[in-house]
Amino acid sequence: MNDKVKERLLSVLCAIISIGAFLGLWWWATQKTDLGNLLPNPGTVLKAMGGYITGTVGKCSLIMHTFNSLRRVLIGFCIGSMLGVSLGLLMGRYELAKAIFNPLYRIIRPIPPIAWIPISIIWLGLGEQAKIFLIILAAFANTTLNAMTGSANVDPQVINAARMLGAKEGQIFRTIVIPASVPAIFAGLQVGISCSWASVVAAEMIKAENGLGWIIQAGMDNNNMTQILAGIIMIGIGGFVLTCIMRTIEGVMCRWNKSGR
Amino acid sequence: MMKAKNKKWKYTLISICSVSFVVIVWYLCINVLHLKAETVFPGPLTVVKTFIQKLYTKAPDGATLPVHLISSLKVALLGYFLGVLFGVPVGIMMAWSKWVDRLVRPLFDLIRPVPGLAWIPMFILLFGIGITSKAAVIFLSTAVACIVNSYTGIRQTKEEHLWVGDVFGATNIQKLFRIAVPTALPMIFTGLRVAMGAAWMALVAAELLAASEGLGYMIQQGRYSSKPALVFVGMLMIGIVGLVLDTVLHYLERKVAKGMNAE
Amino acid sequence: MEQERKIKTIIDCVNVGKVFQTPEGEHEVVRNLNFSAEENEFLVLFGPGQCGKTTIINMIAGFESATTGKMLADGKKIEKPDVSRGVVFQSISLFPWMTAMQNVEYGLKIKGVNKKERQKHAQKYIDLVGLNGFEKSFPVQLSGGMKQRVGIARAYCNEPEVMLMDEPFGALDAQTRYMMQEELQRIWSSEKRTVIFVTNNIEEAIYLADRIIVLTNCPATVKKEYRIDLPRPRDLVSEEFLALRKEITGILDSSQLEG
Repeated sequence: MNDKVKERLLSVLCAIISIGAFLGLWWWATQKTDLGNLLPNPGTVLKAMGGYITGTVGKCSLIMHTFNSLRRVLIGFCIGSMLGVSLGLLMGRYELAKAIFNPLYRIIRPIPPIAWIPISIIWLGLGEQAKIFLIILAAFANTTLNAMTGSANVDPQVINAARMLGAKEGQIFRTIVIPASVPAIFAGLQVGISCSWASVVAAEMIKAENGLGWIIQAGMDNNNMTQILAGIIMIGIGGFVLTCIMRTIEGVMCRWNKSGR
Repeated sequence: MMKAKNKKWKYTLISICSVSFVVIVWYLCINVLHLKAETVFPGPLTVVKTFIQKLYTKAPDGATLPVHLISSLKVALLGYFLGVLFGVPVGIMMAWSKWVDRLVRPLFDLIRPVPGLAWIPMFILLFGIGITSKAAVIFLSTAVACIVNSYTGIRQTKEEHLWVGDVFGATNIQKLFRIAVPTALPMIFTGLRVAMGAAWMALVAAELLAASEGLGYMIQQGRYSSKPALVFVGMLMIGIVGLVLDTVLHYLERKVAKGMNAE
Repeated sequence: MEQERKIKTIIDCVNVGKVFQTPEGEHEVVRNLNFSAEENEFLVLFGPGQCGKTTIINMIAGFESATTGKMLADGKKIEKPDVSRGVVFQSISLFPWMTAMQNVEYGLKIKGVNKKERQKHAQKYIDLVGLNGFEKSFPVQLSGGMKQRVGIARAYCNEPEVMLMDEPFGALDAQTRYMMQEELQRIWSSEKRTVIFVTNNIEEAIYLADRIIVLTNCPATVKKEYRIDLPRPRDLVSEEFLALRKEITGILDSSQLEG
């Protein structure tokens, strides 16, 4: 117990030291070297962030930009992961489904979602649809494979157990294959959510009027490094929050998978 | 025996049918029924034709497909190798030494949630639109994936195995290289593959945003000049190269980490 | 002989053979197997080695089909798993995402029995296997012996005609194994069922069986049959017990005991 407290204190102390040193170095570099012409000091960035939150960047506040990005991600991610997980589960369990869809999936999968940006703009224009289409793709490509592996690797004895208790194929799929695949599905969802977040930023950088990607892109266009850094920080926070949410859901859904002794 | 073989053939046939079906529907919709103009959605024949032409013509983006490809690969591999050379040792050290972990982890945790491509605007302002800014983005994306996986890999080392090392009087360095690193090898390779995916994606993003050559630049130009067939060719190329790189790493993984996955 | 005819035969195994196709060629695991299990009988299939026994159980359960001959249940050919034949697995194979209670009531839920009724029914079997108080535990939170108790309750709760037990205590440590043998003996006495029990442990076989069928190793076929008439619960060190043990061990030549 005492050791644990000590270790905790030590790591907090080290965190303060290392982050402090980093900020100090940054500060020093902007004040004393040529980098100062390009890079604002940390204080300026923080102050600017405060201003962006209470005031506006472009058409709305930093918070609204974040919400715009999050909204796009959540819509696209929900649709994409739903499609991906269902298709993956079917492909893992039924050879026929796998024979039909797997070759097509294998053609699409290696193409990074970002490479779809130009074609999605040609097809769907520069509006919301193109961005959401992109995120659907990102979520889809990352979740299908894991769901497929999950449902293909369900312990056959567990399936036999359900069969001897009277379960028909449909019931086996619903009550055995799906829950047994949940840990694998979540591994895919974790990757999917980070990839979706990266994709929305990329899509907004290419063409948007709001969102965090727009902030850093506009910052680049106006040579405004402070705005870029504020955007990057917000993107980091957004990514962190999304990952945490996924982890929490995973923890609840996969309670049975960890020994609770 | 015969049954199993027949089944396999049956499913292979279904796979071939399914792909052909999609291509035929694609052809019918575009070239026969003209549901979409070819300037929006090119037919399969146009895509193939464009691909062959692009092998030797420079229009509209100033370079042939092989030139774009080599340019992309050069940047990607440069950033990738630097990222691996940095990320793997850092990940290993973080997992091996408590002090390194305590000091480096907080900084790493700050950087990790930011997708690699979000750094593009900053690096372009710092380093200009050259190879440096792109390589820097790829370096970051690669390093993060390598650190995470090497760290996890080293942490999987069983305490019993280290005790065995102690019993035989191994030094700390010997224990690291003879016990922990071999244990971590499969995870490190996973990291290398994840990193390759991330690097390739970051590169495409960088080339879409600011570049004068490369596959990303090519598809962006295809869009500007309303040549969706060229965009298709570029996307397929990006997909194929990504797949080839991953296959190579997968092959290496099986060679190097032989027998490690049996556990 | 006359008297035996009147007893109802539940499972009938007629000239059953099983051959697996492997990349190295054919692998015969069961050859010309004949036996039957009678109503409410505790039948033990005892044999050394790894191969054959589990396959026999899988064929009776309907997970696998015989290459030659036929398996009959109540005179009908076994083609697929059925609720009338419950299975307790060596690998236990509980549904890890369900609590003990949910595992036990799964069969009834599949059948569409309403929640209140099936919980009442499941509770009866949870109590029977002595897991009162662990209804809400997930399998990871239970010890090996407790998990297998859930496995037994799960199979019993469906009230099958026949219980198939494939080395159910094979994965348990010796101490727990003794305890589980006693428990099973008690459960079987209070809830009579036909049990077909596979084991490679001679003591376990004699302790539990009404009848022991000794199998050869690979391919499995009937070597000899013993009827055990010792009074229950049996004394593991009584003279009769030890004599039987010696005799049955004796008929297996030493080469077969290996593996």
